Formats: sequence, C-alpha cells, structure tokens
Amino acid sequence: MTPPLWLGQTWLAPKYLGALFSGLLLTAWLAFLVCLLATLLGVVLTAMTESRYLGLRSAARFFISVHRNTPLMVQVLLWYFGVPNLLPEEAMLWLNTPHTLALPLGLEPAWPSYEFLSAWISLSLYSASFIAGELASGLRAVSHGQREAARALGLRPWQELRHVILPQALAYVRQPLIGQYTGAIKNTSLTMAIGVAELSYRSRQVESETLLTFQAFAVATALYLLLILASQWFGHSQKPIWGASR
Amino acid sequence: MKKALLTALALSLISGLAMADRLDDIKKNGVLRAAVFDSNPPFGFLDGKTQKINGLDVEYAEAIAKKIGVKLELVPTNPANRIPLLASGKADLVAANFTITDERAKQVDFSQPYFATGARFIAKKGALKTAEQLSGLRVGVDKGTTQEILLRDKYPKTTVVAYDDTPLAFAALRNGNVQAISQDDAKLIALLAQAPDKTKYEVSPFALSREYEGVGLPKGETRLVALVNETLVQLEKSGEARKIYDRWFGPKTKAPLARDFKIGDKTE
Amino acid sequence: MNPELITDNLSYFLFGAWPNGGAMGGLLLTLWMSFVACILASILGLAGGIALTMGSPGLRAALESAIAVLRGIPVIMLIFWCYFLLPVLFGLNVPGVATVIAALALINAAYLSQAVRAGLAAIGPGQWHAGLALGLTRWKTLRLVILPQGLRIMLPSFINQWVTLIKDTSLAFIVGVPELTMVSGQVNNREQVYPLQIYLFTAILYFLLCAGLSTFARQSERWWNPRHKGARHA
Repeated sequence: MTPPLWLGQTWLAPKYLGALFSGLLLTAWLAFLVCLLATLLGVVLTAMTESRYLGLRSAARFFISVHRNTPLMVQVLLWYFGVPNLLPEEAMLWLNTPHTLALPLGLEPAWPSYEFLSAWISLSLYSASFIAGELASGLRAVSHGQREAARALGLRPWQELRHVILPQALAYVRQPLIGQYTGAIKNTSLTMAIGVAELSYRSRQVESETLLTFQAFAVATALYLLLILASQWFGHSQKPIWGASR
Repeated sequence: MKKALLTALALSLISGLAMADRLDDIKKNGVLRAAVFDSNPPFGFLDGKTQKINGLDVEYAEAIAKKIGVKLELVPTNPANRIPLLASGKADLVAANFTITDERAKQVDFSQPYFATGARFIAKKGALKTAEQLSGLRVGVDKGTTQEILLRDKYPKTTVVAYDDTPLAFAALRNGNVQAISQDDAKLIALLAQAPDKTKYEVSPFALSREYEGVGLPKGETRLVALVNETLVQLEKSGEARKIYDRWFGPKTKAPLARDFKIGDKTE
Repeated sequence: MNPELITDNLSYFLFGAWPNGGAMGGLLLTLWMSFVACILASILGLAGGIALTMGSPGLRAALESAIAVLRGIPVIMLIFWCYFLLPVLFGLNVPGVATVIAALALINAAYLSQAVRAGLAAIGPGQWHAGLALGLTRWKTLRLVILPQGLRIMLPSFINQWVTLIKDTSLAFIVGVPELTMVSGQVNNREQVYPLQIYLFTAILYFLLCAGLSTFARQSERWWNPRHKGARHA
C-alpha cells in the first residue's frame, strides 16, 4: 500500500527537524524575555493602580483596558508596521543596523532584529496588562484583617508588605501567573506574521519547502505541547520564592 | 496512535475515492471555487471602487467557470495558503500567480502556463544593481513562494525574512527592516506603480530566474486539467488572452509591460 | 491623518463585500462568529465543567487530557489543524467560517469547563449535603441548588472568556476568513502607506466591542447578583 499523497513519501529530513528545533529555541527565548519584562511592567502597573494619585491610577487603568480589549494580533501588526511611521527615519535606521554591545566575559550578544524587538515589546505590554490584573487580585485577596493585625504588631509598612502581604499574595497568584506565562509562550506564535522565525513560522517554512503539511504541523504542535507542559511542570515544582506555604 | 493513523489513512483513501472526479462535483454543486490573491494587483486584489476582488488571475478563473457553465466563488488566499487550500479540498483550483515547479508538481497538477515572469527585487534606488550584492542583505519575501526557497538555497549569506504577503514585505522595506524584497517582476512592477512613494524605489535590473505561471489543480483530476488547458488555448486563439493581458499590463495601464509570452509558447 | 482613508472604506471595514453582493465580512462577520462561538463555548464549557465534577473517573481523566492538549497548543496551530488537516484526515470539508467558530468554541470551552468546575466546587459540600438530605437526586441538587449559585460566581470568568474569544477571531485571517483584521489587512495592502491609521482604527473598533461587552456584562451582573446589590445598599 502506498501512502496517500498528502503524507508524502517520507518523514521530515533532519535538516527540517533542525529548522523546527531552532524555531522552538527562539519561541522559548522570546517567551522567556516576554515573561520577564511583562512581570516587571505588571508590578509597576499594579503599584500604579494602588497608588494614591488619581492620575497614576487612571493611566494604569487606561493602559490595562486598551491592551486587554484589543486583539494581540492587531497590537503586533501596529508595533511592527505602524509604529515606525511615527519614529524619525534616523531612529529606524539605527534600530535596523546591527550594533555590538561588548559585555564582560567577552560576551557579544547579537543585535536583535526589529521583528524580534517589536514582537518582544508588543507581547510584553499585552501580557503585562493581564499580569497586573492577577497581581492586583492577589493583593486584594489578603484580607484587611491581616494588614490591621500586622500594624497592631507594630510592623513597619515595608515589613508588613515583606512578611505578611507578599507571601500570602504570591501564594495566591502563583497559579494564575503560571497560566499567564504559558499563555505568553502560545502568544509568540502570532509573531510569525511579522517574520519572527519562531516555531510556527518555521513550521510554515518547512511546509512550503517540503510540502509535507501534516508532518510539519504535527512536529510543531508536539513541540509546543512539550514546551508548555514542561514549563507548567517546572512552575508547579518550584518552591514559592518567599517560602510561604498555604 | 498507530491505529488512529491507520484509520485516518483509510478514511482519507475512502474520501479520496469519493471525490474522484472533481469536475462532476463542480458541475453538481454549480460552483467553481477558485483560490485567488486579494492583495496583489494586478493579479488578484481588492478593487477600491467595487470592493470586490478583481485582476488578471481572476479573469482567467472567470473564463474557466464560464467554460464549465457554473458560478465562480473566489477564495481569497495569500501565497503560503495556496497548496494547503488545494490539498485540503478547500478550493477546486488556484489561479494566483502560481509558479510551476517540479517540487510543487509532486503535490498538485498544473495547467499549461499562461504567464511568464522572473524573480526580481525592489530596493531603494541604486542600492541593488547586481545579484552579488545580495550577500549580507536582509531580503523580504512572501511565505511559501519560489523566491523564498531559491534565496535560501542559492544565497546562504542573505538573511531571508518571510511575510504573509508582498505589500507587507514592502511595508517592511519602507521601514528599513529589510533592504530588498523579492517577487515575480510583473507583480513588483505593478506594486511599485501603485505605491505613493514610488520615486524612492526601483525594480532590480537583473532577474534571478525565468518562471512560468499556471493554474494549480488537485492531483489526479485529469478531466479538470484537460478542461482548463482547453480553456486557456481557446482564450489565446480567440484573442481574449491578449485582451485580458492588455487590461492589466497594456500600454494604458499604470504598469505597462510588453507581452513576451503567449499561451502555448515553448518554455525554456 | 486623512479621514477619507477610513470613510471611503468604512462599509468594507464594517460589512466586507456584503453590500456589494459578496459574502458577509468585516466587523459584522467578527460579530457573527463571536456570537455563535461564544454560545457554543458556553454550552460546551458548562457541560464539560459538570462532567468534570460529576462524571466517572474514566470520563474525567479523558476530559482532563483533552483540555490539557487544547490548552497546550497556540490557537493559530489549532486553526491550521482544523482548516487544512481535518479535511484531509477525515474527508470533512468545513467552510472557513465554521472551522474558525469550531476551533474557537473548542479552545474556549476547555478554559470555561475548568472555570465551571472551580465555580461548582466553590459552593462547598454543605449545599450538596443539604440538597441530598432533602431527598433530591444528585442531578436535581445540581440543577436546583448548586448551579443557580455557581453561575453567579462563574459569570466573571465567562465574561473574560467571551472577550478573549472575540479577540481571537482576529486569527481567522490566517486562513483567509474575511473578518475585521483580514479586511483591514486587505485595505492596508492596497493603500500601502497608512498601516498606523488603518490598524489603529481597527483596534478602536475591537476596543469598543470588547470593552463595551465587559462593561455591559458587569452592569448586568450587578443587577443580577443580589449579594452585590446588598453590598451597595449596606
């Protein structure tokens, strides 16, 4: 029995598996950087929403609402195709020219392409707006009684935050945060539209070169599943940073 | 897993048999589903006035539908989706600037060519004169095109960045993210002619290849292929093919281009 | 900014080629796909959540793994699979709009069923015991006692999931379904030099849709949920 045409005559050659694997690495690297920046921004946004000043609160709320209520795809397209229209030509030229940044230990990180840069920014802003929401509800979950108790014990505000509120809040947001981080991994797939050579982009490239549609998508899907299940497992296996137990 | 795969295999074989003759299905349904471009003037693009898809490829699809005597349904596609659309049976044929290659012919059948072009480039004026200059450049292409594969193969020092469609690649060129974009010359000339900032760019003087474009059809549909070929020959004979060409590339158009290939001409 | 860019193409943004005798598209298609997929996802999610709570261990394990897989792959890959590979694998030829609706309904149902399970669990065993003690069957307890309370708790999750779903319809452009993002792309490709204006306009339309839905839903939640009402009066 000959295999049907769509399955082709062969499995993917090592060269193409290599291409898919390099896509996986870029997906993981991009997702990692996105989680990092998004968490930092998320903390800043949360601090702003809890701020005393109406201006800061409304600014944060506006930012969160805009990023949550528009599709990520449109945001990615805006950052890659739209924003350069706003920047002066020199700035774009500078961004597009490779620069070297000499670090100690002889490290010379490669200059990121504008594709990568705009993917990183747009995905991070998007995730940050969700992470801020999770952090805020984590803070809210720590009851007022706890704060009052801390104050009654004579703890200073930073001690209260460090020893009472944060450990509880972090334990509470752990689960939702893992969800946001795995979401960020999946979101990187949209950046194939702007030419970032991550896993989905590579699967389409392999597909167009080999015309083995089924194989290319099957391998890519399996790699996504592995990456996401592995990061979920990793997230759950880690001890909470603040040594809090629930 | 093995069992599931076998079942899937068996099912696909059965369904393959059931769809054995696409031409009969088309006639029975009264609709020909043709995959055409929606963003690539003048082959297939969204007409600003009528808000409908129109173009040279679309006219060929119309002629084929007329020949069969059925309604035409346009399935918008970008370059990357052409083969999957055929392979999955989402379209009965592809008329979308589809270059005939041996590699593709393993998966789909082609009609005889009805258009000939070559792979060229758009770059900032004066920036790209010879093919040697391609080394070290970042070049934008469309996903799933012959240019994408050709450049990766023959010019390993060129960084290839693939986009979903030619105008998007052009936008990346405008933003300086790539230094050149590659496509069929006819498409590039027409694209540049539409561009509001066309004076800043030019089409490269050199071409990397000569390419022939045909109608893509599902594998093994001999009657459908024969009918499409017959339609094409008739269009040439009646002079209609010339008229279609002139409507989009004639002297009065935005992107005039001499017609150097007739249907039925020998291919190199 | 040139307003003609938007006004000239406004009907195409909103309805696609529909007014000109073509298929429905643009914002209208986005609304239609979102509407159908939201209803399907809610029904499936509710059924899935109930099955996760009351089903046999075998059924629960099967559902859990299906959900894990659905949550483990990007929506784009799922749409590819449904659009290009289901027809080849099973000879099912589903049109693009239906494919996207099905893919989005499935993936959002996976998330919702977990929310439903959590919502049901939050009611606590006391209510279950009370229902059973009154002589109700498990199903009657679920329907008459647990669900009415659970649905109120779950409503915010449902709203969030609906907004996510609406936004994810934008991925349909990858398989050529002419919803809002795809028609914006077409206009952008034709006009060539105004990506910022065109995508900003698109973003505003989505924002009005999604933010409008959440505001409306939160308002009606307040009206529906007596606990909130009480809190306001207190």
